[in-house]
Amino acid sequence: MKVGLKIWRYDSATGDRALREYEIEAPEEATLLDCLDIVKDRHDGSLAYRKSCRMMICGSCGMRMDGAAVLACKTRMYDIAQEGRVPVISAMGNLPIVKDLVVDMDPFWSKFKAMWPWLEPGYDRPDDGREYRISQERMNVIHKEALCINCGCCVSECNAMESDPEFLGPQALAKGMRFVGDPRDGATVERLERYNREHGIWDCTRCYFCNERCPKGVDPRDAIAKLGAESIRLGIDRDMGAKHAKWFVRSTETTGWLREEELIPKTQGYVSAIKQLKFGASLARHGKVRPVPIPHVARDVNEARNLRKVVQEQDREGALGIVQGERALARLAHGGGAESLEEIYARPGAAPRPFLPGDAEGGAVSPPGAGGSAGGASSAGEGSAQGQGSLTQADVTPGKEPTRKRGGE
Amino acid sequence: MRRVAYYKGCLASLSAKELDSSTKALAPMVGLELVELESVTCCGAGDIHEAEPDYYLHLNARILAYAEATGCDMLMTVCNVCTLNLRQANFMLQGDEELLARVNENLASVGVPAYSGKVDVRHFLWEIAEGEGYEALKQVAHRGLKGLKVAPFYGCQILRPSKIMGFEDPDRPWSLERIIEACGGEAVDYPAKVKCCGFPIIAAREETALGELIQPVEQAIEAGADVMVTPCPLCHLSLDAWQQKLEASTGRAFKMPVLHLAQLVGVAAGLEEAELKFKRHIVDPRPALERLEV
Amino acid sequence: MIAKHDVLVVGAGCAGMRAAIEAYDAGADVAMISKLHPTRSHSGAAEGGINAALGNAAEDNAEIHAYDTVKGSDYLGDQDAIEVFAEEAPGDIVQLENWGAFFSRREDGKLAQRPFGAAGSPRTVYAADITGHVLIQVLWEQVCKRDIPVYEEFFAWQLVEHEDRCQGVICWDLLHGGLKTVGGKTVVLATGGAGRQYRVTTNAYACTGDGMAMALHAGLPLKDMEFMQFHPTTLYPTGILLTEGCRGEGAYLINKDGERFMKHYAPNALELASRDVVSRSEQTEIDEGRGIEGSVLLDMRHLGAERIIERLPGSRELSMVYAGVDPIYDPVPVRPGAHYHMGGIETDNDGATEMTGLYAAGECACVSIHGANRLGGNSLMETITFGRRAGRSAAEWALSHTTVEVPEAAERDADARLRELLDREDGERPWKLRDELGTSMLENFAVFRREEQMAKQIEIIEGLRERYPNVYVEDKGEVFNSDLTQAIELGNMLDTALCMVTAGLVRKESRGAHARPHDYPTRDDENFLHHSITRWKDGGVELSKSEVRFTKWEPQERKY
Repeated sequence: MKVGLKIWRYDSATGDRALREYEIEAPEEATLLDCLDIVKDRHDGSLAYRKSCRMMICGSCGMRMDGAAVLACKTRMYDIAQEGRVPVISAMGNLPIVKDLVVDMDPFWSKFKAMWPWLEPGYDRPDDGREYRISQERMNVIHKEALCINCGCCVSECNAMESDPEFLGPQALAKGMRFVGDPRDGATVERLERYNREHGIWDCTRCYFCNERCPKGVDPRDAIAKLGAESIRLGIDRDMGAKHAKWFVRSTETTGWLREEELIPKTQGYVSAIKQLKFGASLARHGKVRPVPIPHVARDVNEARNLRKVVQEQDREGALGIVQGERALARLAHGGGAESLEEIYARPGAAPRPFLPGDAEGGAVSPPGAGGSAGGASSAGEGSAQGQGSLTQADVTPGKEPTRKRGGE
Repeated sequence: MRRVAYYKGCLASLSAKELDSSTKALAPMVGLELVELESVTCCGAGDIHEAEPDYYLHLNARILAYAEATGCDMLMTVCNVCTLNLRQANFMLQGDEELLARVNENLASVGVPAYSGKVDVRHFLWEIAEGEGYEALKQVAHRGLKGLKVAPFYGCQILRPSKIMGFEDPDRPWSLERIIEACGGEAVDYPAKVKCCGFPIIAAREETALGELIQPVEQAIEAGADVMVTPCPLCHLSLDAWQQKLEASTGRAFKMPVLHLAQLVGVAAGLEEAELKFKRHIVDPRPALERLEV
Repeated sequence: MIAKHDVLVVGAGCAGMRAAIEAYDAGADVAMISKLHPTRSHSGAAEGGINAALGNAAEDNAEIHAYDTVKGSDYLGDQDAIEVFAEEAPGDIVQLENWGAFFSRREDGKLAQRPFGAAGSPRTVYAADITGHVLIQVLWEQVCKRDIPVYEEFFAWQLVEHEDRCQGVICWDLLHGGLKTVGGKTVVLATGGAGRQYRVTTNAYACTGDGMAMALHAGLPLKDMEFMQFHPTTLYPTGILLTEGCRGEGAYLINKDGERFMKHYAPNALELASRDVVSRSEQTEIDEGRGIEGSVLLDMRHLGAERIIERLPGSRELSMVYAGVDPIYDPVPVRPGAHYHMGGIETDNDGATEMTGLYAAGECACVSIHGANRLGGNSLMETITFGRRAGRSAAEWALSHTTVEVPEAAERDADARLRELLDREDGERPWKLRDELGTSMLENFAVFRREEQMAKQIEIIEGLRERYPNVYVEDKGEVFNSDLTQAIELGNMLDTALCMVTAGLVRKESRGAHARPHDYPTRDDENFLHHSITRWKDGGVELSKSEVRFTKWEPQERKY
């Protein structure tokens, strides 16, 4: 197939930038990375990009396609080529460019290292010279964070980092959660104190670009929320961001609705908020805030108040409150599997039913735990039907056929 | 007329009352009968999700339960943040029977009806961007925007995470543009329309938030927009009210009016100031709309 | 020389990082050199698991592990090394766990172990299907904790041998350009394999045998190079790995009729027979017309969506992205692909090579524990156990010696050679040679080998080597010149490939991964129960042999 690419070339020695267009012939199964290889081999050997595993585990080939960070090796070009689109390829954002598609990862790694990214063993180490005994369920708390391959796609598009380059960012913070959530780690409080500093968790602006771009399903924004939940659970709540979050809790159990007018003083403190008086006055002129806030109380708010008491007595506090929903949310990403095995074997065009030679045909041995299981084809899980966005960037789109086109050789 | 449960959220109850009034005026015109939920609270706005996530889940389950109790199969929102919070909680409950059972038990213990998992949460934007709502919209937008240049601002939590929102391509959304054009306006394009307005951290990290906020405002002006439109009252507050702080910090006069989605459509549909309540805006949109003779 | 250290580790995958950590803990000033950032190393792509006789899932001990390994090696493994390996493996695993490795767990909270090919007990510790990734992360974390310096994106090119010992490495600084020499009292090579010699391979682009070639060019022996493992389940058409864990979880291999053909080849172990056995069975099915488009099918449908999503999520995603197949609904087309070099730089059980001060560990080394065929899960374990041992002995030697010296002439000569390559204005582009090598190796030196094909392959490689001095680099810049490093990598692959085929041609028997069903279908212990040794001499390969070390297991027929 013919593939067109526009690539932003950059030479750090001269500072020259140029958008070059290439048209190449590629096999139908080609990924963006394969196409770049063809450009480099046959058209322009000076094109620079990183690559290694070409199977979305090494994290080398993060770059942007049409402005969205992707792993080049995970991005199949067939559909794009069929549409006749010529995508623009450029280096990742939020990191300095070295050459063409290669960015300087030093700022990325220094934030990573600022997290104390290693286990600080706690006091209850196994004394028999063996492994820690921990249930899989307990370890699953950090299951998603452990998937991170440090590719930088989340950092590339982090909106808060664009505005505050010192923000630790989604990748580093997800790594932090990987340790905060690890029952073997003994430095939870010290870590959270550190992550709660100025450019830490409360810098996150919840733009959700990180979750959207992550090619591995880490969902860094959720990891940041877990860090926030753990901080507040442990009383590490001096940051204005934590106070802001707590004010919502307080509002819902007192009036039900957000006590908006008090949000800024409750976040910044009444002394600092005085500086905002002029701003407040301008809002008051337009009825955005009232001179004397009379609580606007929701009906049956006592239910919310009681509900909080009930859940506080159950053992799902802190990050566990988020973790408990991950299984269900993962079904949105995975989809599939609602059929029984018989139905799967009977699908049109299905490959033949497996059998052991000597057995009667069709007498396949059922393995333990096999069989179609209650998967979760969710009602609303149709994904983004309008475009290819999430096919190439996020998890495999729910319920959709895989990105298809098995190429011949 | 389709009956839908209407969850207006915090801001439309207070600082953005104009959103509530224009939505209520517009809804019947596009075939929606709003059943307003009374016994509901804040969705937690991502803050309770971060502070006390289990409580967040229960608060949202309570809202969903009361929505279901109205007999409607859809809960309509008018805020990005409410949409994400409710949809996310909904999927958590729908995809995990055990979790749903536990939450229902807790709801019952405080006297809230049970939730079956059958309510769909949708934003008003989606209702009028396609299907019957869109057809109705084309009919009622007879007055037209007369080529008004409108910069659509989506914000974040109506697009991402796309696996939860699932309506349109998060990088190439089309719904606002389609509505603007159906109303006779001209949608201007600019990259920051899918980015963050900074609102969630505007109180705690003002400088960082303003660094985000300036992008859409500046770009919309450069793209030649007369007004901006957004489906989210938080984005609206940030774009409209905090714009003066941007002006103070940059020494520039932006004066970019920002409309709620229901207001923009409302203008095209001939709603009056009593419903639109433009006087509640910090940057008064009326001069920009003058030639439409609102 | 830009810096010097006690211990210099080249390569930062599992073996390299484990060696560096151990050298650091032994008190040495250690640094790593890597052409990739450490977490990009190909160890991270290992999926299925890592073997240690913990006995968590069933009765097991080091002796059974050792026996399985000896048998799997087709009796070509050095038994003293294998015994050391099997005995020390459990302690190494526990240490990794204590460092924080995110392994999968049993109900009782202990580490889970899954069955793997040719193992007498479920012995493979794993982390879903991302075991290598988890190991790379935990080792990188420990490297960060110790703040061990890494010369990142430094392409190691030549060893510095001075006064009869290794004293450093000459590298090309990929990010900034220029040759940079780093001195070391000892050097540990941990540069991984060279699967890129083949067009269909599970290996990363980075697996080009750089360390093997450096050692070869420094006059050191490479051992058992003819033994290239073909992994039975690589995705069609790309060769991307689907873990043995799929079969460990119960996946079937079927031919186009749906027949579980392994019953004919390994009636007891079926899909979980040794890798060489499974690869040959698949190739036979394909060659005899019972395949589909040059592949057979890996069928996971009966495992059910829940289990596939839970235990094999990575394999599912790989199948969907690279083959367009969702294994919940359809079997995945797979075929044997070049996977792992059993051979490599000859070392003793402490990683020491023939050259004083030079050590090697991991895939680039040959201790040898894998002999003619490696068992799944043993290579990750090897990187840890022998990485540790090499790091320890390199540190001990370094701490008892003082000087590091790199003669200026060495740097000058290297620079002249490099500039000659970089300045060459025309000739052939390297990719043409690379593609010819990959295609011909797959055709002539893969699962089944024939006399005439091997002879032809030697000619082909010689022809490519003659053309190699005319390749030219298009990128003349200094910054991130991967065109230059790829040209050097090509040279490394050509020379190591020549060693492989040369050794293969004279091994007139079938043993492990070296299968010659047409002319020498059986193992010949009388004439070939020895290691092949290849050295570089006068611009060519010199062949010799060395003894296999036995302890307690006599060679027997190998059946599964």
